[in-house]
Amino acid sequence: MPYHLFKCSECIPEREKHAVIKGKGEDISMALPLGYLNTIPGTISERGCAYCGAKHVIGTPMKDVIHLSHGPVGCTYDTWQTKRYISDNDNFQLKYTFASDMKEKHIVFGAEQLLKKNILDAFAAFPNIKRMTIYQTCASALIGDDINALADEIMEENPDVDIFVCNSPGFGGPSQSGGHHKINIAWINQKVGTVDPKIDADYVINYVGEYNIQGDQEVMMDYFKRMGIYVLSTFTGNGSYDDLRAMHKAHLNVLECARSAEYICNELRVRYGIPRMDIDGFGFEPLSASLRKISLFFGIEERALAIIDTETARWKPELDWYKARLMHKKVCLWPGGSKLWHWANAIHEEMGVDVVSVYTKFGHQGDMEKGISRCEEGALAIDDPNELEGLEAMETLQPDIIFTGKRPGEVAKKIRVPYLNAHAYHNGPWKGFEGWVRFARDIYNGIYSPIHQLSLLDISKDEIPTDQGFVTNRMLSDANLSEEVRNDPNLHPYTGNYDNVSHLRNKKYPEFPRAEKDTSVA
Amino acid sequence: MNDEIKSNAEELVNYIMKKCLWQFHSRTWDRKRQNEHILDMTARMIYGEEIKPTTPEEKCYWADAMCLMEAFNNHFGWLQKMDRAKKEAVMTALKDRIDFLTVTGSLNLELTDTHY
Ligand code: SF4
Repeated sequence: MPYHLFKCSECIPEREKHAVIKGKGEDISMALPLGYLNTIPGTISERGCAYCGAKHVIGTPMKDVIHLSHGPVGCTYDTWQTKRYISDNDNFQLKYTFASDMKEKHIVFGAEQLLKKNILDAFAAFPNIKRMTIYQTCASALIGDDINALADEIMEENPDVDIFVCNSPGFGGPSQSGGHHKINIAWINQKVGTVDPKIDADYVINYVGEYNIQGDQEVMMDYFKRMGIYVLSTFTGNGSYDDLRAMHKAHLNVLECARSAEYICNELRVRYGIPRMDIDGFGFEPLSASLRKISLFFGIEERALAIIDTETARWKPELDWYKARLMHKKVCLWPGGSKLWHWANAIHEEMGVDVVSVYTKFGHQGDMEKGISRCEEGALAIDDPNELEGLEAMETLQPDIIFTGKRPGEVAKKIRVPYLNAHAYHNGPWKGFEGWVRFARDIYNGIYSPIHQLSLLDISKDEIPTDQGFVTNRMLSDANLSEEVRNDPNLHPYTGNYDNVSHLRNKKYPEFPRAEKDTSVA
Repeated sequence: MNDEIKSNAEELVNYIMKKCLWQFHSRTWDRKRQNEHILDMTARMIYGEEIKPTTPEEKCYWADAMCLMEAFNNHFGWLQKMDRAKKEAVMTALKDRIDFLTVTGSLNLELTDTHY
């Protein structure tokens, strides 16, 4: 597999080892992009900082917590409300964010007293919330404020509150991934094992590396509940602080995003003997295999099979309607870290699209091993691309759509390439069987948007046709389909509701008789 | 190893690399452990043995192995038609190749990091 140096990066020759083209018959032992390294000076990276990785990605999806950043207000503001990790408690963690608002004078004279006042004020403002996370930033790390000591002092003075301190300043790693690592390890060191839960269930899991983007976690919880599996904690989307202190009592760690949360699973395996099972919540086949694996672990296979059969029968005809219309559309799969491997094979096989490039902003080489293995020959794999490389790749590969973050996404739009938000989704959730159809619908709407078609015309030079009426996306997508496919009575577009999550919050589930009454766990 | 065994094993390798995640745990020792247990159980079930896992750790390997064994039988009809000796040759070649791709021949510089 040849390494690839972008034309625009010829002046930064080190970049060559960060991009690889998957050639015919070649494999990951022949070439693998470097990863998780400091961004090379001179290349304008699209990464986030280690504080952002800890706070925004992992910490703040916890729902019943005051999330307070000790630093200038900018760090907090820029990591607020840009990811849609909703929760079933009226989105407390999305609505409110807290900052100690450090200024220059605090850099000179210290900011511990300022922080203490802020902590007490925040608890006073929200008297029903008794849990807090505090995130260090570059500024508070550089002046050496002892946040842990202060948190201990406050917990001693206020025994009803509990505070978690995450020391992951922005400079604490090459990218947000450094922050994922730090908060994983800090949580298990500080908090796991400090709550002893009462468990009245036979089958107990931690659902790890799941952030409830637009309701992903709640969709998966629905399946687990239908299988009679008790989810002790979710790390961390829609997750509860105290539940996460009890992670040591689960029978199995079901790991979704290994990039952001494999560390805590590995430590839970070593320290508490809880096995780690990696799963895919995206795609009919990978999700079915994942539900089966979990059910096999607990010996309740028939419960998983019932769900798989029901959901597949309900949603497959809709997925296949989109597949017929997305066949061989070219996709650049350019997410942050884990979705390049979660999606690379599943979107190709189940939606018919061709993945012409995968990239990762903050992934490690392990993510590239998975991603390159899962995509087809000819794909271009890029680690930590800069904006010019992204543009060059789009000009060369001519994708029909890209899946990426909103910053590179807006760049793509400027050169008339539609994009879907891979981090926060468009009309998610995209997990689950129905979610996968919603994803296909978003891809379809992105590629065949009539507005997008109009944007391809440049009014400064192109002739604007005046003899054509407005076309619909259906007219565009069906133009080249055979009569048989176009009118296939078994296939139809998405028929689900606008909101397919809220109703799950009041849903009644079957009660499964206990297999054994012993509440001690393995 | 003859070419037929090699190309048979390669089909199975390709399936694992496209569909599975268990072979890509974080560190060398984890990958070796995963490959050894999951592929050993898969092979034994392909040979017709019944496996009864008892510990949580064994159950976790077994769940992945069960899914893999069934997928192999569903997608690669030739495997079931082979005699035991040929099956063993294919499964040994498969294990060697997965070990190579994920451990001994892996270019992943993080595999030997002593911490998680
Ligand atoms: S790099 Fe430092 S200053 Fe910038 S947002 Fe991150 S923590 Fe704040």
